[in-house]
Amino acid sequence: MADRNRRHWTSPEDLAASREHYDEFPAGAAEAPDELSRRSMLGLMGASAALAGLAGCRRPVETIVPFVRAPEDRIPGVPQHYATTMPFGSGAYGLVVESHDGRPTKIEGNELHPASLGAASAWMQAAILGLYDPDRSAAVRRRSATGFEPSSWDELAAFVAERRAVHLEDGGASLAVLGESHSSPTRARLEAELRAVFPAARIVSWEPAGDENVLAGLRLTTGQALRPVYDLERARVVLALDSDLLLTETDAVTQARKFAAGRAPDGEPNRLWVVESSLSVTGAAADERLRARRQDVPGFALAVARELAARGLPLVLDGFPSTVLPTALEAQARLVAADLSAAGSAGLVVAGRAQPPVVHALTALVNRALGAPVALHPAADLASGSTAELAELAAAMAGGEIETLAILGGNPVYDAPADLDFGAALAQVPHALHLGERVDETSRACAWHAPRAHFLEAWGDARAIDGTAGVVQPLIAPLLGGRSDLALLAMLAGADATAYDLVRDTWRRSILGEDAFEQRWQRVLHDGVAAESASTPVDAPVDSVALAAAWGELPPGGQDALEVTFHPSPATFDGRFANNGWLQELPDAITKITWDNVAHLSPATAAELGIASGDVMRLSLGDRSVEAPAWIAPGQADRSIALTLGYGRTAAGRVGNGVGYDAYRLRDASSAWFASGATLVATGARHRLAQTQEHWRMEGRHLAREATLSEYRENPHFATEPEEHFEPVELWPQHSYDDGYQWGMAIDLNACIGCNACVVACQSENNIPVVGADQVERGREMHWLRVDRYFAGELDEPNVVFQPVACQHCENAPCEQVCPVAATVHDEEGLNVMVYNRCIGTRYCSNNCPYKVRRFNFYNFTKDTPELVQLAMNPDVTVRSRGVMEKCTYCLQRINAAKITTKREGRRVGDGDLRTACQQTCPTQAITFGDVNDEESRVSAVKRDERNYLLLAELFNKPRTSYLAKIRNPRTEEPA
Amino acid sequence: MSRAASWGAIALALLVAAGCSRGSTSSRPPIHLNPNMDSQPKLTAQSESTFFSSGAAMQPPVEGTVARGARRHSDLVRQGLLPNGDEAPSNPLAVDAALKERGRERYEIYCSPCHGPSGNGKGIVATRGAIPAANLLEDRFRSVPDGRIYSAVLNGVGLMPSFAARIPVEDRWAIVAHVRELQSR
Repeated sequence: MADRNRRHWTSPEDLAASREHYDEFPAGAAEAPDELSRRSMLGLMGASAALAGLAGCRRPVETIVPFVRAPEDRIPGVPQHYATTMPFGSGAYGLVVESHDGRPTKIEGNELHPASLGAASAWMQAAILGLYDPDRSAAVRRRSATGFEPSSWDELAAFVAERRAVHLEDGGASLAVLGESHSSPTRARLEAELRAVFPAARIVSWEPAGDENVLAGLRLTTGQALRPVYDLERARVVLALDSDLLLTETDAVTQARKFAAGRAPDGEPNRLWVVESSLSVTGAAADERLRARRQDVPGFALAVARELAARGLPLVLDGFPSTVLPTALEAQARLVAADLSAAGSAGLVVAGRAQPPVVHALTALVNRALGAPVALHPAADLASGSTAELAELAAAMAGGEIETLAILGGNPVYDAPADLDFGAALAQVPHALHLGERVDETSRACAWHAPRAHFLEAWGDARAIDGTAGVVQPLIAPLLGGRSDLALLAMLAGADATAYDLVRDTWRRSILGEDAFEQRWQRVLHDGVAAESASTPVDAPVDSVALAAAWGELPPGGQDALEVTFHPSPATFDGRFANNGWLQELPDAITKITWDNVAHLSPATAAELGIASGDVMRLSLGDRSVEAPAWIAPGQADRSIALTLGYGRTAAGRVGNGVGYDAYRLRDASSAWFASGATLVATGARHRLAQTQEHWRMEGRHLAREATLSEYRENPHFATEPEEHFEPVELWPQHSYDDGYQWGMAIDLNACIGCNACVVACQSENNIPVVGADQVERGREMHWLRVDRYFAGELDEPNVVFQPVACQHCENAPCEQVCPVAATVHDEEGLNVMVYNRCIGTRYCSNNCPYKVRRFNFYNFTKDTPELVQLAMNPDVTVRSRGVMEKCTYCLQRINAAKITTKREGRRVGDGDLRTACQQTCPTQAITFGDVNDEESRVSAVKRDERNYLLLAELFNKPRTSYLAKIRNPRTEEPA
Repeated sequence: MSRAASWGAIALALLVAAGCSRGSTSSRPPIHLNPNMDSQPKLTAQSESTFFSSGAAMQPPVEGTVARGARRHSDLVRQGLLPNGDEAPSNPLAVDAALKERGRERYEIYCSPCHGPSGNGKGIVATRGAIPAANLLEDRFRSVPDGRIYSAVLNGVGLMPSFAARIPVEDRWAIVAHVRELQSR
């Protein structure tokens, strides 16, 4: 019997039922923002001012501007798609970008690329807004006595030529190039050429949240530069050691896809064990989640390995030190090992980038002993980043050894380890140049700044983690005159060629070959990737003696002191997306906080220290401290405080400046991911957090349904049981929807991992405005699609269910019955449609919507859209104005486009013709959409699943969106 | 004044305001009281943009890029030129009934307004607009290689503009096939 009355809660306050009174609307929801002056209030009242007869009441003059020389194969208004690649850290994601009239407008995954498989993450989706960021730098700048003055590329070229002449003399001994980590074959070639010209030059890469530890671990024990590529689809038991492998780790999109593919509850679903300090998206997806401080994870890994060895796995673990583990973890290590050894070659251990290299080496050792589905790919053309090299460079800079420093991308003044004091070291470099997308913290400390081209503006290339090479194909000429890293590197190396020629040269020489190059190159540009260019996995024996020796140098875990851990933000990552409004306003998957980062504390630790959510605390580590708002986080390990990186920027731009606190200030080179011995005092101040968790809530009804695997097998109909006692009453004859297309959607909660990719995809596709923290606090966020997060179980060890909720397109829509002006009506294909022009803003529909999915434009959020941001708007979707209600349309514009295309071809719309934006981007393919009138369609098949249920079916709204209940696979029940 | 009368006065004032430009000429655009999302901050096809130096929101593709679904053709098919630079002597596509039929359809849409449905250069534009159009049935056009006719569509000749942006590669060759068909009648 499924626990159908299992209580779901949304916050610690909700669990304790301590809220005296739950108000449907957040405090102040009906009031205007405080900081608005009367003058700006008038500005917001655009239409009213026009009525009063002031200026601006005339119809705008619109001019038709056709092409003078029209390009071939282009019809104005008909979008085209281009394959390209988004380099990201040490990996790369293949994309297909929609271009309207030569302007990229929407990013989707490239189905031919191994790192995206057709899906895209929130970061990839939001990169389009980064292209049209009005705060991007538009000019070369050079420092003079009077300030940071506009200069030109010609002057910069002259400066580079002059520095080249100087360093040709000294062999480059006082020259350094600092870049982000990359996997670009062309860049690797140019760096080699640069080394040939300047043999003594330092060429360093650095990434604040990179995969340095992964590579270092495998190099330590195999002597080779290798990267593990996991096949989660084949794994039955997965142990994730402090690894957010479904969201923030490299290759997360593919991993999420394969994880979900191995989880179909009607087969043999996999079981995910996660041991971590702070509840991540991966921890939320876990069947068994263990709380452990980050410093205890290596000991836990070793305990599991020892237990596996004791169970007869061929593991030699001589010479490893004894481990000190909390007793609870000891017991759990035995359970994990039992499960892993039972799974045999379908067992898999994955370690996160925050774990020290030895853990990655041990993971490789265990996986090899298990015969786990993991391939070790040689890391070709990879610069993975090295903290040691950065430290060495910073020391040389501080010592005055570096005359010329070229920083190609990245923002080390902001994100380098605090103990290196990179800013002070940079001040000692007389000729520093920063190529950056904005005049950021690093640019401000350099003598020169050059605008960097966005990846959608410049030619380049990058390898995915399995070595598959992809081309970075530009979709538009640089909007603001930027140039790429490759162009600048070529300038330094003295190569006189464009980035296009450089990339083609590399591909001709080392990837495609001379033979039929032109044809194959065209094919690569079309596909985005070079077929079969992945590296061949190697079989690398792990040297356990070297590993045992290295393990001894690990700081012992188990100390009682307060631990601080650092986590890249799922929104701003390492800070690079700080000026991206979509990502800033994206509610965090777990905390549902927008526009801020917090310090996560476990309920027990918070109680011990007397701290409540929202209290500002001063966290000190050694002689450095930061002030951060506390957040009591269910599932957080006790005596461990999680800090999110990527906030507290001072020179990100108008969106990102001053948002959150800067956790980098506590981060040392030696303790990049966790440090022990923090002290913490409450400052007495309070911080207001814009959190969406309690917004749009559905009054504790039984909405997210779940069962364990054995419950499901016993009673497959558990999901619809709550409705069995219920007899629908028809108040009027029901309209029959049995002709033509009838659109419907099914969302599989078992696949949904809460990664938020769909939310950003929807925002990008449907021109959804960003409203700012103040408006979010008042419950006025505009996301058409929200992902509800429910906890279940204990406060300390909660289970999590995610439930994406958008308009349910009810056949008996309650909203339609109360609209006084028929602005929301039903069409013959079952869509609940909004007629924006009719809407007079009564908001009756929103009040009557039981799912709380309607969004109201309290202000003209789009009125002052900068022209550059207007380029990012989807021309096929209305940009709504003030006073208008809006909501999910099932991507009506896509439905119509598919109907037009298929009608011309004389056939019906099939499954392959139409995907909504959320469905298209979903890394786990949790969303299915299509014609429910067609028995053969995929959505019809999915809706026939026994787990299929409707939200609030008892209201007899007959929603078109249905949900498939979540099935957990916990250890206590052995699969039959 | 009664409430009804004051509302009436307001309504009248609004009507006058809305209608004040009716019937008289003005260089200014008409009054538009309710914006009603008629003009939105987005860029539609062929709209103006002050951001780009060209003044157009539409941007050319970056040179060398290949769109998804773009047909890839050899230089012979795309340019109508042999490797040595000579015009293709004959149609590189298989000339069958379907191609000729497609060619007839496309010819009648794009070519016949000037060149006439029979190719005699007496289309509606040529006869009424006094813009001369070539008579394709003349001997000098019968003797040129197919690639020359293709080149006229691709690059334009004299007053005739290039049709490359409007007619895709296969359709150009279909039109060539149809012109040959007209000439053979």
